[in-house]
Amino acid sequence: MEELTFDILISVAAFVAGVLGSLIGLGGGVIITPVLVLGFGVDIRYAMGAALASVIATSSGAAAAFLRDGISNMRIGLFLCVATTVGAVCGAMLAVVLDQSVLSVIFGVALLVTVVLSLRKNPDAAGSKIHSDPLAEKLRLPGTMPTEHGPENYGVQRVIPGFAMMWVAGVLSGLLGIGSGAFKVVAMDQLMRIPFKVTTATSNFMIGVTAAASVGIYLKRGYLDPALVAPVALGVLAGAFVGAKLLPVAPVKLLRIIFLSLVSVIAVQMVLRGVGVNF
Amino acid sequence: MIKDTQIQKGLARMMLGGTLIAATLMLAGLIWYLSANPGIKSGDHIFSGEPKYFENPVQMFQRALDMSEVGHRRSFLMIGILLLLINPALRVAFAALGFVAQKDRLYAGISLFVFAVLVFSFFW
Repeated sequence: MEELTFDILISVAAFVAGVLGSLIGLGGGVIITPVLVLGFGVDIRYAMGAALASVIATSSGAAAAFLRDGISNMRIGLFLCVATTVGAVCGAMLAVVLDQSVLSVIFGVALLVTVVLSLRKNPDAAGSKIHSDPLAEKLRLPGTMPTEHGPENYGVQRVIPGFAMMWVAGVLSGLLGIGSGAFKVVAMDQLMRIPFKVTTATSNFMIGVTAAASVGIYLKRGYLDPALVAPVALGVLAGAFVGAKLLPVAPVKLLRIIFLSLVSVIAVQMVLRGVGVNF
Repeated sequence: MIKDTQIQKGLARMMLGGTLIAATLMLAGLIWYLSANPGIKSGDHIFSGEPKYFENPVQMFQRALDMSEVGHRRSFLMIGILLLLINPALRVAFAALGFVAQKDRLYAGISLFVFAVLVFSFFW
């Protein structure tokens, strides 16, 4: 295939991934890597490099709006980034020694877990609390968020388990070249009982910082092919922008069902590919 | 005294602006790169790594400016990408400065630690 045709095709695929990703609430990373690997036969390492770069692009764009509106909590974000960035460096170092097929299997499994996590019906079911852990108070993590009835205070709980889960999210991010937003949301929402709105906004801020901690290692190992990264990142970025505009009018529920079933099939394919079943 | 909301607004502006500039450069670089390589087949099916000079931003700038260099256009493209990749590090550094101005030692320290990890990962 000619490079021009190839680049046009992958940027269109990245655009679609970006639109769907922002409508469903999954990052571009978990979608774009399997599309490149299974659809275009790209080596998983180049695919991960391109995906990680596009994760940084979309996270910067989306997080900016949340920060401006005062929904994200900068202190929670930066504090937890200590865990995710250290985890991401560990994950990226692990990625460079693992075999391509092992990466493929881990990727498929992480993708399935991501689907299960995003299937949860009521994200706020865990219930946010006003009071906080002593440690959270000491770290000044509790904050206020804007609501329809003015600013509202919220508490933060179980800082240490949340921090530990964030390290795991970081390892997965560095290992697989994904933003691991779904895992970050679970840590903040389920463990630390931070309100869902604040959780997703803060997670967006953290995704880019986490991804940046492994992208340097990917760069050094030659995972970033500029001629692949640029069309993918541009496609995902444009897609995420259009997706955000479409959000109020799109049939999100239906899209979720179709898309998540599709992602499950892709996840299984990644696992099968990893264990050597080709089709 | 600087307020949290001021730091957040500054951060938001930097993130959005940086992403737009990086995207523009990438798009320009990509068009330029493709115009020189219309018929080349893509070699991404097999992992071969990337040239060593991509590791060093200074060398890459030199190569991007050197018209006689093979891979000159690829280097140029890579600079747009690098701009995208350093955005999060700049974000953290900016937050650290904000916290220093607030005399918030704890969070200035936390931000600087995260910044150090990011720098370490790029230059390790």
